[in-house]
Amino acid sequence: MTEVISAATPAGAPPDRDILLDVRNLKTYFKVLDGIVPAVDGISFSLKRGQTLGIVGESGSGKSVTALTVMRLLDIPPAEIDPGSEIWFDGREILGMPIDEMRKIRGNDMAMIFQEPLTSLNPVFTVGDQIAEQVALHKKVSKKAAWDRAVESLSLVGIPSPERRAKQYPHEMSGGMRQRVMIAMALSCEPKLLIADEPTTALDVTVQAQILELLKAIQERTGAALMLITHDLGVVAEMVDNAIVMYSGQIVEQGSVDEVLVEPRAPYTMGLLESIPSVEKRGGRLSAIKGVVPSPFNLPPACRFEPRCPYHWETCRRVPPDLYLAGSSGRRARCHLHTAEGAARWPAALEAHRQALTMGRTLPVHEVPQETHDRG
Amino acid sequence: MTAAETNLRTPRIKGRLRTRPPASIQRARAVLLGILSVVLLVAALVLVVALLFRVASFGPIVKNPDGSTSLGVFAAIWPAYVMAALAYVATRGYRDRRMWAFILSIAIGLVLVIGAAGLLFGALSPGTGGGSAVTPAASGAPAASGAAGGSGAPVSSVAAGGSVAPVTSGAPAASGAAGASPGASGAPVVAAAGTKDNGNLAFGMGILAMFFLSLGLPLLWSLFKGRNWFLNTESRHPIKTAEEIEAESGGAAAITATELVPAGDGGNVTNGAGSMPQPVTHTGDPLVSVRGLKKHFPIFGGILRRQVGTIYALDGVDFDVYPGEVFSVVGESGCGKTTLGRTLLQLTPPTDGHVIFDGYELGDVDPDDMRPLRRRMQIIFQDPFGSLNPRMPVSDIIGEGLLAQGVSSRKERDKRVEDALEIVGLRRDYTRRYPHEFSGGQRQRIGIARALALSPDFVVCDEPVSALDVSIQSQVLNLLLDLKRDFNLTYLFISHNLSVVEYFSDRIAVMYLGKVVELGTVDELYRNPRHPYTIALLSAIPIADPRRRRRRLVLKGDVPSPAAPPSGCRFHTRCWLRERLGNPERCVTEDPALRPIGAAGHTAACHFSEEISDTVIQESVEKQSLVETAAAAE
Repeated sequence: MTEVISAATPAGAPPDRDILLDVRNLKTYFKVLDGIVPAVDGISFSLKRGQTLGIVGESGSGKSVTALTVMRLLDIPPAEIDPGSEIWFDGREILGMPIDEMRKIRGNDMAMIFQEPLTSLNPVFTVGDQIAEQVALHKKVSKKAAWDRAVESLSLVGIPSPERRAKQYPHEMSGGMRQRVMIAMALSCEPKLLIADEPTTALDVTVQAQILELLKAIQERTGAALMLITHDLGVVAEMVDNAIVMYSGQIVEQGSVDEVLVEPRAPYTMGLLESIPSVEKRGGRLSAIKGVVPSPFNLPPACRFEPRCPYHWETCRRVPPDLYLAGSSGRRARCHLHTAEGAARWPAALEAHRQALTMGRTLPVHEVPQETHDRG
Repeated sequence: MTAAETNLRTPRIKGRLRTRPPASIQRARAVLLGILSVVLLVAALVLVVALLFRVASFGPIVKNPDGSTSLGVFAAIWPAYVMAALAYVATRGYRDRRMWAFILSIAIGLVLVIGAAGLLFGALSPGTGGGSAVTPAASGAPAASGAAGGSGAPVSSVAAGGSVAPVTSGAPAASGAAGASPGASGAPVVAAAGTKDNGNLAFGMGILAMFFLSLGLPLLWSLFKGRNWFLNTESRHPIKTAEEIEAESGGAAAITATELVPAGDGGNVTNGAGSMPQPVTHTGDPLVSVRGLKKHFPIFGGILRRQVGTIYALDGVDFDVYPGEVFSVVGESGCGKTTLGRTLLQLTPPTDGHVIFDGYELGDVDPDDMRPLRRRMQIIFQDPFGSLNPRMPVSDIIGEGLLAQGVSSRKERDKRVEDALEIVGLRRDYTRRYPHEFSGGQRQRIGIARALALSPDFVVCDEPVSALDVSIQSQVLNLLLDLKRDFNLTYLFISHNLSVVEYFSDRIAVMYLGKVVELGTVDELYRNPRHPYTIALLSAIPIADPRRRRRRLVLKGDVPSPAAPPSGCRFHTRCWLRERLGNPERCVTEDPALRPIGAAGHTAACHFSEEISDTVIQESVEKQSLVETAAAAE
């Protein structure tokens, strides 16, 4: 259980030594003109040293905000972090830390790889300069040593003739090369935690394969922990040890990736897996999750997935579900199906899911999306 | 490569469409219309001035107080109106290649040039011109009936206008009016200026002459350039029937066999459709045939914005799409799949090659003949945010196509818009809303409704789901499949998502750098890929099932720039198979053609397809190293 969630540790106390990152009841809100957007609404998870954690979710589910909060890169305001939230990194609480302290950690002990390498790199400096700047800042080494370190990390990510490449500008490189540079930059200070926010979304599938292989190899070599944020279930399946599925700012399911993707316990995860097109479903209809993600200003009162859930019943509209234990040890899912009340409905739901996986689900023709998203 | 080798038959041609006039003709038409408006404006101005100030008399010929005669204002202006009317009629005849339109335009152009010459000549040598002229307006000679001004000019036939007959003076209103007015000594205002200062007058006439020269010469020149279009009698008529074509040429196949065989052939074209094998899966005629389609985009650079290179976005693509099937095109970004969709629909004109839609060749077709075909082929765009005009309500977005197709009644249009909305699963009362009021999935439905409102036969789906979240993606895919079934549609489905394509399509073409490298049915292509690129592409798909985790075959480097595609086989710079075979020279020197392999209809463009086996792939996977994967990007 402690693999993923650290509910056992009392608030304010540091987690175990082998836990690198421990996020406890994190709430990040955005105050905007129209109201408050609960982008991240009470999530807790932990990541052991050297392990890989995948955060999966659709756009707007809060996965990127989670990463930015951990890096403390959000502007406050408009963002606001609930005072009850705690993030423990390497034995220290970082949310309450002075920003100068945080700067020493950021880029040094934890580093981030962003989705769009072109906008994340500075177009007026050579990539070598940009990497060396970070090294010089954190490691107190000479300019020459910093440059050497930059070249070394470029060669580490498999860039041929790194000396020459280090003197080039971002626009002289292809998308895959730029993403390699981003990774080299993140690696230059040998971080303990690497956060990759959709690292391959902007890349073509063959280049994506290169980058994923690279991330795997580098993690093996450096022993860094990896937090991989993606919407692609395929990437998660190939890369991570543990997975968190997010929906509307909440964790709806967590567990080891083999369990989450093979035996999902939350209806949202089940729906996602069912809706993946595959050759077995040819000729049939794809089973789709009906409707759209609810507007953050107009969230359903109890379970946030209830309007789109095929298994919902009356309780789901009344009682907000908790992350209940589901199945084997460490599995948790935010669904009433895993309470005593819903247990009777679970076998039927599982059966429907299995069917939908193999042959697609028969839904009414042209299912009309529910109007939960009007004029938000 | 012969046509037989590619399994593609020569497409049957049902009829021919009128072709679009060449650029020179279009220019001529525009120039003529420009002249028209200037002429009419000047003429109207002269009339107004004359009426207001009574500076001139109005009769065709006016007796002056001193007993001489001169041109009246109407006499000067009405030839201008005649010219204008003639020119307008000429432009009407352009599109239909009427010979009289050609001749008439030449005549008008000549008249303008000659008139200008007369003006110039008269203005530069007022003495001689005036002296020898027999016109009553002799004093104002330079201007008087422009063309006729120099009776010594070689245009004496036209210069019958040397007499008072203003018709043959031929110069349009401006020259006529300008000429007549100073000539009319009875007109006090202008005449004064004319007689007092011949130098000024000459200058003014010169300017006027340059003006007419600048209009008349381009007109003549463009007509000269476009004369082949007028003089070439072939395909002058609108849509020909197959029978007519057959009667003319003695066999429908013969007429097209030479032009429509796939590109890249070595010249050994086999004639006659009968000898070519048909793909087993399809027996009917294809709905869309693409032969040797090329689209090259120029790159401009440097200070002078000269062309410094060419992007070979499409470089010879051949395939058929049969009615009722989903034909998918997959490839990485920059391989030309979107350009293919756009070129196929003639949204951008192809550089070379043929697109035959339902028996009609689409290249360079006159807009009027294209319109009914455009209704039948529609496109759904990739980006549901960029492809809907934020300033238009849904009713206008969907109704615009209907309007263009001649559904002019607002009521009828709105009804059809609402029907389309309902079909794609949106509410009927959404018509007055704007795009920003919808979510991504709903917007994509609007894009689909827009394509569907015109009841097309053929829809190009350009990455319709790639901008959508997974849970919305399957909704839209389901919708597309339902519509295909309900409305009997044929899709060209463009995507980079190989798992979507596998689920969605019947046949697939894999593209790489502007060429199709492999083409086959879904089952063939996914179970038995025969091109090293296809194999790598399939291996790169992440599968959302941890139980099926496996080592990938990772390609080296990035896709080369389409501005400088590698020689020979375009894939050779990244090819793992070539490396394994010891880098054979053939891959670099010889461009492989699509050739049949395995099951019928399955073609691949690789010299060494036969070398591929499971063990070969497995060994290549084992051998690859991390650093190597970036090496080829150099």
